[in-house]
Amino acid sequence: MSQEESSKFTRMIILGPTANISQTELVRKIHMMEIPLTIKSTCYGAVINGEEADVNKAVEEIRKLDPCNIFTKDRGFPPGDPRRCRAKRGGAREGFHQLEKEFELLGHISEALEHPKKVSLKKPGKISVDTFKKIAEESEK
Amino acid sequence: MKIAIFPPNSLILADLIERRGHEPLVLQKEIRKRVTDAEIDSPPLNITEEEPIKGLKYAAIEVPSGVRGRMAIFGPLIDAAEAAIIMEDAPFGFGCIGCARTNELSMFCLRKRGIPLLELHYPTTKEETMEVVNKINTFLDKLEKLEVSNG
Amino acid sequence: MVKIAQISCGTDYSGIQKEIEKAAETFGAQIIIPEADLNYIDEAYKKFGFNAASTGIRLMIARATSIVEGKTDADAVFIATCFRCAEGALLRNEIRRFIQKNTNLPVVTYSFTERTKADELFIRMEALSTIVARKSLLAREKQEGLTLGIDSGSSTTKAVLMENNKVIGTGWLPTADVIETANIGMEQAFNETDYKLADVDGIGVTGYGRLRIGHHMDAQLIQEELSVNSKGAVYLANKQKGEATVLDIGGMDNKVITVNDGIPDNFTMGGICAGASGRFLEMTSRRLGVDISELGPLALKGNYRKAALNSYCIVFGIQDLVTSLAAGGSKEDVAAAACYSVAEQVYEQQLQEIDLREPLIQVGGTSLIGGLVEAVSTVLGGIEVIVPEYSQYIGAVGSALLVSGLGVKK
Repeated sequence: MSQEESSKFTRMIILGPTANISQTELVRKIHMMEIPLTIKSTCYGAVINGEEADVNKAVEEIRKLDPCNIFTKDRGFPPGDPRRCRAKRGGAREGFHQLEKEFELLGHISEALEHPKKVSLKKPGKISVDTFKKIAEESEK
Repeated sequence: MKIAIFPPNSLILADLIERRGHEPLVLQKEIRKRVTDAEIDSPPLNITEEEPIKGLKYAAIEVPSGVRGRMAIFGPLIDAAEAAIIMEDAPFGFGCIGCARTNELSMFCLRKRGIPLLELHYPTTKEETMEVVNKINTFLDKLEKLEVSNG
Repeated sequence: MVKIAQISCGTDYSGIQKEIEKAAETFGAQIIIPEADLNYIDEAYKKFGFNAASTGIRLMIARATSIVEGKTDADAVFIATCFRCAEGALLRNEIRRFIQKNTNLPVVTYSFTERTKADELFIRMEALSTIVARKSLLAREKQEGLTLGIDSGSSTTKAVLMENNKVIGTGWLPTADVIETANIGMEQAFNETDYKLADVDGIGVTGYGRLRIGHHMDAQLIQEELSVNSKGAVYLANKQKGEATVLDIGGMDNKVITVNDGIPDNFTMGGICAGASGRFLEMTSRRLGVDISELGPLALKGNYRKAALNSYCIVFGIQDLVTSLAAGGSKEDVAAAACYSVAEQVYEQQLQEIDLREPLIQVGGTSLIGGLVEAVSTVLGGIEVIVPEYSQYIGAVGSALLVSGLGVKK
C-alpha cells in the first residue's frame, strides 16, 4: 500500500429509514460538491474515501442535505478491501452485523433529533424506608 | 472534547457526538492505523504478537491473548478520553467487541478514569430510543458548559 | 483444494490469523469463514442452547450450525479459542461434539496464545488435510495380507510385521542412524517369521524419520504419527467406535491425542521437563538398582504417599528420591512415588489442556510400567486406563494396518 493511500480516511454515510433523499440523489449530490473523493454507492447509502480534511468537509456538507436522517461513521478498512470482503472469504465482516442492528433504531433517532427535549440525568434515588413501609402496609390491606 | 464510547464502534453514539462538535474516540481510527500500514505483517488486522504484549498494561499475563490484543487497541482510546458514554446491553457486537471479558474490563477502565460519564442501556422501544437521544444531548450540553467554565 | 472452515474467537486479536492461514496453505488447504447473517446467528444460538456472554462465541455457534445445516461447503473444520478462556474452552468442546455428531467432517481443535506459530499448527493442518484426502484409508478397521510397519521415533525405532489382522513379528531398538536402525528393526521382525522383505504386500512408515526411510524403502504409506497412533491405539484396544484418549508418555516427550471413531481431533505434545517423562523412570530404576522392566511391579507393591517426591525437576527429583531412600523409605514406596510424580506432572502440563475422554488408552514403552499406568488412573480420579497388547509398537502397528488399506501388491 502506498504512503498516499495510507493517509486516506473512509466514512460510511448511512441514510435513515425516513430519509428525504434517495441513495442515487445522495451520491449525485456528493459528486456535485466537487471535493476530491472516491465515492461508492452501497446498500446503506455511500462510502467516501479521501484526505482527512476533504472527508470532514464533505461530511459537514452531506449532513446539511438532511440533518436528522443522515448518519455517518468512520470505517477502518478502505472500501472494498479484500481482507474484509465477503465475496472473497465468505462470512460478513464483523462490523456489519452491528450496523444492521443499529440501523433498526435510526427511525426513532431521527424523530428524537427533530423533537429535542431536555431530560434529567439524575438517576431516580431509592425510596425511603418509611415510604417503602407505607406501601407495603397499604398492599397488605 | 474527546469522548470515548462503548460500544466503541457504535454508529449512533459516534454520530450524535460528532453532531455536537465533539470528537468521538472510535475504534475504527485505531483499526485504520493498522490496516493501512505500508508494511502489513499479519493480515487482516495487522495485529502481531506485539499487541497482546502491549495489552499487558491493562490485563495480566494470565489473561487470554485475545483480551490483551483487544485491549491494546481499545486501551489508548480509554486513556485519551475526556468524557465517556457507555451503552450497556448493545445486542450485537462482533470482532473487537466480541469478547465479553474485554468489554467488562473496558467499561470498568472507563468508569475508574473519573471523567464525566453517561451510562445508558441499549434502547428497545421508540420511547426508550428518544429518551436515550435526549439524555445524550443533555449530557453533551453539560460538557460544553463545563468546557466553557474551564476556559 | 481442501476447504477448512474456521470457527474461532480471538485469532485476529491474538495476531495469529496469518499463522493459521499459512499452515493451511502449506498443506494445500484454504481457510474459509462460514456464512451467517444476523437473524441466523440469533436463531442458531437459541437453538443450540448455550448462553454465551461473548458475541464472538455466539458467532462460533452460528458458524458451526451453518456447517451442520449444509449452508457452508467445507471439507474439514478447525475450531480454536484463546488459551485460558473458560467460555471458549467450554464451547470449543461442545461445538466439536456438535459437528462430529451431525456431520462426518474431520475436526481439529486448538487453544492458542499470541506465541502460537505456524509450525505448531502444521501437524494439525497436515492431519486435517490427510484425513480429508485419505478418509477411506482411515476408515480401515482390519489389517489384511502381509504388511510391514515402521515407526522411526526420536529415541527408539519399532518394526512390526502383520498378517491377516495379527502381529507376527516385532523389532525394537534405540534409534541411531535412521536407515540402519530401521533395517535392524525390520530384520528382528522378519526373524520371528519365515518371511522376507520381498514377500510383503505393503510398507507403511511413521515417526520423525518417516520421510527418509519412506523414500529409501519406497513405502506405500508415509504418514504423520497423529493419525497413525490414534488408529493403532483404537485398533489394538478394540475401541474403534466412539470417543477415547490416547496417552503416550515417551522417553523424551509426551503426546496426548483425543479421538472420535478412530480419527484424531486434538492433541498436545511436548513436556517441559524430563521429570515428566520416561527418562525420569529410567534414572529411578538405576538408582534403585533394578531393571526398568522391574520398576512397574515394584511400584505396584508400594504406596506413593509414604515417600516424599515433590520436585518438578529431574535433578531435584532424583535428590528427593535419594533422600527418601536414606530416610529409610522402601524401594517399593520410592518406585511408586516416582511413577506418581511423573503421572502428576503429565496431568498438570498436558492433560489439563485437553478434554479428556474415556477410555484412556495408554501406549508407548512406558505403558509397560504397571505402576505408572496405575498412577495415571489415580491422578485422573480412577478413570479406566487400557493398555492393549503390543502397546509399545503403536506407531508400527498403525502403519501396518493403514498400509494394508492401500491394496498395493509389490
